[in-house]
Amino acid sequence: MKFGKLFVLFLLIDFFAKGCKSDPGPIMMDQEVANKWADMTLYILKNTPANSPTFASRTLGYIGLTMYESIVNGFPEYQSVANQLNGLNRLPGTDSTQSYVWPLALNAAEASILKNIYVQTSDSNKWRIDSLELAILKNYKSRNEKSAINRSIAYGKSIADSIFSWSKTDGGHRGYLHNFDKELKHPVFPGSWRPPLYAQSFSHNPLHPHWGENRTFLKQNAQMDTPNMIRYDTLNTSAYYHQYRAVYDKEKTLTQEEKEIALWWGDDPDVSITPPGHSYYIALRALRASHANMVTCAMTYARVGMAVADAFINCWKWKYLFFSERPNTFVPEHIDNSWESFWPDPPFPAFPSGHAIQSSAASVTLIDILGNNIAISDSTNSLRKRDLLRNTDFKTRHFDSLSQVPIEVANSRFYGGIHTPQDNNVGLEEGRKIGSHVNQLNWKKK
Amino acid sequence: MEKEVKHCMLLSCFLLFIVDALSAQTPFVDITTSSGIQHQFIVYEGMFGGGVCVLDVNNDGWEDLYITGGMADDVLYLNQKNGTFKNIFEGSGLTDTKHFVTQGVVSADVNKDGWVDLYITTITSRDSVKTIPRAMNLFFINNGDNTFRNATADYRLDKMISFSTGASFGDVNADGFPDMYIGNYFHDFQGELKEINDATIVNANRTAFGYLLINHKGKYFSNDFAKYGLTHKGFGFGGVFTDYDNDGDQDLFVNQDFGYKAIPDFLFNNQYPKKKLLDVSEAMNMDLKINSMGTAVGDFDNDGDMDYYITNIRFNYFMVNGGKDKPFQNKAKELGLEYFAISWGANFADFDQDGDVDLFVSNGDLNPNCTPMADFYFKNENGKFLESARAVGLNDYGMGRGSATFDMDNDGDQDIIVVNQKPTLDYPVSSFTRLYRNDSASGNWVKVKLLGHGSESRGLGSRIEIYTHGKKQIREVDGGGSSHISQNSSIVHFGLGNENKIDSIVVKWTSKPSQVIINPAIKSLVTIEEMVLPGSPPWMYYLGSLVFVLGFSAYLFRKRAK
Repeated sequence: MKFGKLFVLFLLIDFFAKGCKSDPGPIMMDQEVANKWADMTLYILKNTPANSPTFASRTLGYIGLTMYESIVNGFPEYQSVANQLNGLNRLPGTDSTQSYVWPLALNAAEASILKNIYVQTSDSNKWRIDSLELAILKNYKSRNEKSAINRSIAYGKSIADSIFSWSKTDGGHRGYLHNFDKELKHPVFPGSWRPPLYAQSFSHNPLHPHWGENRTFLKQNAQMDTPNMIRYDTLNTSAYYHQYRAVYDKEKTLTQEEKEIALWWGDDPDVSITPPGHSYYIALRALRASHANMVTCAMTYARVGMAVADAFINCWKWKYLFFSERPNTFVPEHIDNSWESFWPDPPFPAFPSGHAIQSSAASVTLIDILGNNIAISDSTNSLRKRDLLRNTDFKTRHFDSLSQVPIEVANSRFYGGIHTPQDNNVGLEEGRKIGSHVNQLNWKKK
Repeated sequence: MEKEVKHCMLLSCFLLFIVDALSAQTPFVDITTSSGIQHQFIVYEGMFGGGVCVLDVNNDGWEDLYITGGMADDVLYLNQKNGTFKNIFEGSGLTDTKHFVTQGVVSADVNKDGWVDLYITTITSRDSVKTIPRAMNLFFINNGDNTFRNATADYRLDKMISFSTGASFGDVNADGFPDMYIGNYFHDFQGELKEINDATIVNANRTAFGYLLINHKGKYFSNDFAKYGLTHKGFGFGGVFTDYDNDGDQDLFVNQDFGYKAIPDFLFNNQYPKKKLLDVSEAMNMDLKINSMGTAVGDFDNDGDMDYYITNIRFNYFMVNGGKDKPFQNKAKELGLEYFAISWGANFADFDQDGDVDLFVSNGDLNPNCTPMADFYFKNENGKFLESARAVGLNDYGMGRGSATFDMDNDGDQDIIVVNQKPTLDYPVSSFTRLYRNDSASGNWVKVKLLGHGSESRGLGSRIEIYTHGKKQIREVDGGGSSHISQNSSIVHFGLGNENKIDSIVVKWTSKPSQVIINPAIKSLVTIEEMVLPGSPPWMYYLGSLVFVLGFSAYLFRKRAK
């Protein structure tokens, strides 16, 4: 009997000893470190309450930039873009006499920026971030010297700290605490935005009305001209009326696939990765499909992140400048009183489309790096249950080339009945300019 | 030329006079000012409220009103029996409500002492700024002398820190002590929040469980939500207890906001005597995916089962009962009820006393949007509805919310009280709580007041049926949560049209036995006291047993002797 007990005890000790021994698993490819952090970023983004497309876009800008800056000094062909950005200046440098384990610098930097910028996420989500950081560290531990590892972790963290510190002054820091300005007086004029009756949000105030005043990542993006909007007119021969008439007519003839597209790109921040998160996800799919190396991945996330962040700042600047109505306001008043859009209204003015502008900006950067001819499948919502109210399924989307994405994204809002063709076209056009500015930074050494 | 102008002006004045004279003759007369009612609900940060509850505070036979004020003080209007009301809120023992942003209000005799008690839902405190708006709801026991005492802690209700909208009393377990369902909009906390950080703040606006508060012999409440099989969350606006399937127990319909993107409405079938509320929402087609604000309960076609009018943003739903085990169907359009509005309160009552229920609907824009929209009055004409608010004098453009029906002047017909919010933006018309006196009802009527013993004192939740010439009309005694976070009179009213005689009144008490009154008087208030079946004292059982044993022994003894 005694022997039996001792044997069991021995087995238990052996089991725990083996269990605690670090098992690095199969060797991880460096680029997968970057992509796994993109995965984690999207998980945290989706699973943190009080999320908004505006705040999400901002976090992606900083998280993407941090990833790039944490490793750029390890790749002689590339250079830091810090001093080309809007007030960031120099970031901590490396010691050229010492060696670094760059994936571990990236690892530490991403864990740090993510926990800082999503400080409002749950403890379990923070443990999830720690867990990924630890797993990646373990994977590289046995292959590298301890001093190089520690140096890399410290460096990565210092980059994250510097960028997080810079982020605090952009106007959007802890923006989730001020999603709606309850004191805001809504301007009222013919064609002005009104709180939606078929709404995505319970707030009657519009989302982040001051977001357009935030600091852009690029000065060039803050200096863009204001786009033109068609003048308000209720005459049924007017250009303005035709914009809304087109939305109304489309809703009457939606095909099943168009309904699926509207549903797929709904990207409600309460339940999804949000529109900018969706763009980051498209980048992730494209990078995996093209087997891009780590620095390319990091640069891509930095470009896409900053492109969507600046797109949202400009978009919000214009949205609140024009404070324009949605089809759900114009159509019942001037075309058909009983009309309702396929998809509920988000809580902010219409012109230009946020979906269109950010997707266009992201896609311009993505294509500049990877080229257009990459086929991808977008399965971000594939596991979601059929929408019984609209009798529509969440069906995986396939694209033969990256340039198809922003067109479908923009169209989805037209099919949803919440944006006019003008909102989309201007969004796509301005997004292209914003993305081009990001591309024009000197990413590579000349 | 000058003469012509003068003529024109005279004609205009005459026409105006005619129009004025005509409007003065509307069936409903706005007597707010003369009644002494001065009330306006002040909204907290564009959120919700308020409600009105009809109750007889002092059992004098004249029904009084409690109206929530939100950021303003609540009011308790005592009926002065002469068409006026007196606010006795100060000194009533109810002033603890001043520390809270109140929302809805319901009443029941919780401790069964014969006096009606009050339960008031709140969303946050008024006098201390909270990062996360939450507060306890308040429960007041009626002292029987026009005063109340705050019994929230005594009834173990003070630890539920919630963002509550509507409450409803119903006797789920048919023990005679009224239980409650509470709708919570955002999730609650047990006890005050000790540490507030960014994570707790971003979590604050998530969907909430409701409360199912079981009344323990009038002594305290316990939240038995899970024990009754309830698991649902939602942006709750409360609900109503109602017997939708005519099986004699109280089922529960739950209103939820944003059903199309969050969690829809629910219909729960009470599995009494099991402690189980079974979710039948989908099967019964009552999982409405709308902004469900409130419910009016009534049998519009006198077919013997309850139908439900559910208010919404844009178009309201009229869910018509399909009969036993058949799903409900939305017949708003085909019955003439499809009108665009943002609706909150709704009340079925036979306002014109022609033998079928009409429908009043309280409308109001989302504050602070502040676009005026008129209330609705749907006259029931042989099972179809005709919107005629303007014609009857009920087309008020204030920002309507909760509403209730009662007989304020005891003249037999149903009057209406409508709570209005104060618009936060400029508003072209006045918006304050209105009292309408019904001056038009011409048909015969009867009012029925219940005095419960086994059931709640006013018979809340009981079913009353009247039979006239083979025709049946049914009503339920409103336990509250109806209309929008409000409660109608517990004195049930029937219009009889030209009928001069009621064959019988049947009361189906929640405590189960039914009671029949033959040939009650019409045009009167019929008070029906619940019969108490005499219970046999224990010594009778002992004596009976002894007699039986002795008798049986004697039988055996005699048989043996033979």
